[in-house]
Amino acid sequence: MSSSWAVLEKDLRLLWRHRTGWLSALTFATISVLTYSFAFDLVTAEVKPLLPGVLWVTFLFAGTIACSRSFADEVEQGTFDALLLAPVPRTALYVGKVLANCVALLAVEVAVMLLATILFNVPLLTPALVLSVAVGTVGYVSLTTLLSTLGAHVRAREVLLPVLSLPLLVPLLIAGVRSTSAALDMPNGDAPWTLLLVVFAIWSILGSALLFPLAVER
Amino acid sequence: MTTITRPTANSGGMLGSLGRLIAKLYEWHWYVLPPVVGIAMMAMIVGAVVVAPREAVEGQVQRLMYIHVPSAIAAYMAFGVVFVCSLMVLWKRDMRYDAVARGAATVGVLFTALMLATGALWGRPIWGTFWAWDARLTSSLLLFLLYAAYLLARSLADELDEQAARYSAVYAIVAYLDVPIIQMSVRWWRTLHPQPIVMRLPGDQQLPTSMLLVLYAGMIGILLLTTWLIVLRSETERIGARATALRATLDRAEGN
Amino acid sequence: MTAIEARSLTKQFSGVPVLDRVTFAVEDGAKIALIGANGAGKSTLLSVLSTLALASSGTFQVGDIEADGDTAALRRKIGVLAHSPMLYEELTPLENLRFFAKLYGVTDGAERAQVLLERVGLWRRRDEATHVLSRGMHQRLAIARALIHRPSVLLLDEPETGLDQDGLALLDEEVLRAPGMTVLAATHMLDRIEAWADGRITLVRGRVATAEGTGVRTAVLEAVQAAAPAAQAVTS
Repeated sequence: MSSSWAVLEKDLRLLWRHRTGWLSALTFATISVLTYSFAFDLVTAEVKPLLPGVLWVTFLFAGTIACSRSFADEVEQGTFDALLLAPVPRTALYVGKVLANCVALLAVEVAVMLLATILFNVPLLTPALVLSVAVGTVGYVSLTTLLSTLGAHVRAREVLLPVLSLPLLVPLLIAGVRSTSAALDMPNGDAPWTLLLVVFAIWSILGSALLFPLAVER
Repeated sequence: MTTITRPTANSGGMLGSLGRLIAKLYEWHWYVLPPVVGIAMMAMIVGAVVVAPREAVEGQVQRLMYIHVPSAIAAYMAFGVVFVCSLMVLWKRDMRYDAVARGAATVGVLFTALMLATGALWGRPIWGTFWAWDARLTSSLLLFLLYAAYLLARSLADELDEQAARYSAVYAIVAYLDVPIIQMSVRWWRTLHPQPIVMRLPGDQQLPTSMLLVLYAGMIGILLLTTWLIVLRSETERIGARATALRATLDRAEGN
Repeated sequence: MTAIEARSLTKQFSGVPVLDRVTFAVEDGAKIALIGANGAGKSTLLSVLSTLALASSGTFQVGDIEADGDTAALRRKIGVLAHSPMLYEELTPLENLRFFAKLYGVTDGAERAQVLLERVGLWRRRDEATHVLSRGMHQRLAIARALIHRPSVLLLDEPETGLDQDGLALLDEEVLRAPGMTVLAATHMLDRIEAWADGRITLVRGRVATAEGTGVRTAVLEAVQAAAPAAQAVTS
C-alpha cells in the first residue's frame, strides 16, 4: 500500500512539473464544452437536456488524453522497468497510477462543471452529481489506465487508445449520462443508473488490477 | 546432434490423451473439412433458396434468416474462442494460442459484419429502416467495434511480439467480460424508451418444421465454415511465425 | 557460498533460443565480467536474472532465494544498472533517489540518498532537474539508484556507458571493486576487465562458452540436464 502512495506522490509531482498532459486535457475539455454549446444553441434554445451528454463525452475524451501518456512516458524513459524491478506487487504500481490519474481528472472535471454552471446557469456542483461523476471517473480511469499500458509500445497510441477504450466504456457513458440527468431532475427512465456506474467501477478496477500484472509480465 | 527443447510436451493424464485425440483429428482436417464444409454450405444455400417455404407475411426477404441467425451464432462462438485462447496466451505463454485467437477474431468480425449487413437488408423492407437503435442491434455493433479494435491493436505490433500478444490478450479478455454489461446497459437504455415498430420474428408464432430444418442445416454449415476458417487462419499465422523464426535462426547461425 | 546460481536457463523469443541452457555459479563477493558479441544473450541473461523477464525453462537462485520463491525478497537483494539510466527526467536527483528508496522500503531513505549523492559527486546538483544533467552524470545517478537499497548482488549492463575517467574511477571504487558486493557485469571494455574482474563468463550464441578465473564455475551440461528433467532435451 505504501508503494501505491509512493507512486501516487511521484506521479502527482510529475504531473505538476510536466503540465502539458493534464493542461491539454483541461484545455480540450473547456473547448469541447464551448463548442458543443455553440453547436446545439443554433438548434435549440434549451441546451440543458443535452448537458449530461456533453459533459460525459467531454470527460471520456479528456480522460483519454490525460491517461494516454501515463505509461508511455515511463516506458520511454526506461523507468517502467525500474518500477517492475522494485520488490512491490505490480498491482500496487497500477493502483498508484490510477489514483494519480483520478486526481488529475477530478480536478479537470470540477473545473469543467464549474464552467458549465456559469455558462448554462444550471447548478452542477451538487453532492449527488459530484458523487456520481467521481464514481464514473474511477470506472473509466481504471480501464483507460490499463489500456494505456497496451498502447505504450506502439507508435499510433494517441489514436489507438480511444479506439480501444470507447467501445468498452459505452455502458459507463450511458449510465453516467442518465444518472446525471436524474441528478438534474430530467426524465431518465427508471433503471438503476447509479448502481450501474458503481458496478462498472468495481468491475473495471478489479478486472484491471487482476490483469495488469499478467499484461506486464515478460 | 541438434537437440530441441519443446516446452509444451503433453505429459500423460486425461488432458494428455484428449490432446492427442485432438491432434489426431487435426492432422486429418485438411482432407475432411473442405468437402464437408462445401456440402454443408451447398445444403444451406439450396435449403434457403429452394426448400424453405416462402414466409407468408415477410415474403422472400425472410430467407435472409438462414444466413443471419447462423452468422450471429458463429460470431459469438468465434468470440468465445478468442476469449479462451486469450486466457491461454496469458497462462501458458504459448504463441500458438495467440495465432488461434487472432484467426478467430478475424472470423468473428467477418460474421458480425455479415450479421449486421443481412440484418440491415432484412430490416429495410420489414421495419422500414436499415438501422434502428434497438438494444440488440446496438450491442452487435459494439461487438463489431470491440473486436475490430482488438485486431487493429494486434496488427500494429509484430506477429511474433510476445508482449503485444499478451497486451492484446488482456484487451480481448476485458472486451469479452464487458459484453454482458454492454448488453444490460443498452437494454435498459432502449427498452425503456418508446420504440418504432421493432418486430422480429413474432415470438408466439412457431417456425414451421421445414423452416427449422433449413435453419439447422444453415447453422451446421456456418459453424463448420467458421471452424475451417479459424483453422486456416491460425495455420497460416503459425507457418508465417515458423518462417520468421527459421530466418532468425539462420541469421544467428551465420553469426550475425 | 554461491551468490548467483543459474541452472539451465533458456529463453526463447518466438521460438528462437536467445539463451540456451545457461548454467553457472558465481561465488559470494566475486566480480564477474560477462562478455560476448552483440546478440550473444548478455542483456537477456541479465533481465532474466533481474526478474524482468521470465525464463522459458530452467531456473536460478540468488543467495538462498529461488527464482520462483519470494520474488520480493529476491528483488531486494539485487541492484540493476541497465542500458537506460531508468530515471525520471522531470524529477531532481534527490527526488529520484527518495522515490526509489520509498519503493524499496528503505527506512532511512533521506540519509541514504544524501550519502549516495555525495559519493557519486552529485550532492551539489541535487535540486536541479535530471534532464539538464550530462550523460555521464545520468550514469552516476543511475549507479546511486542501483545502490539505494543496499543490494548484495549487482547486475550491470555496460556500466561504463557515458562515464569519463573520473566516472570510471568512481565506478570501480563504488561498484566493481566494492568489498562484499557480488557483481555480474556485461561489458565490451575488455581492456578494463583485468583491472576489476576476478573471473569472466563468455557467452556465444546464447550458450556459456567458457567460464574462467576465480569465483565462477560452470557445470557440465549433461549433469545439469539429468538434474533438471523439465529442461530435458528431445534428441532429434
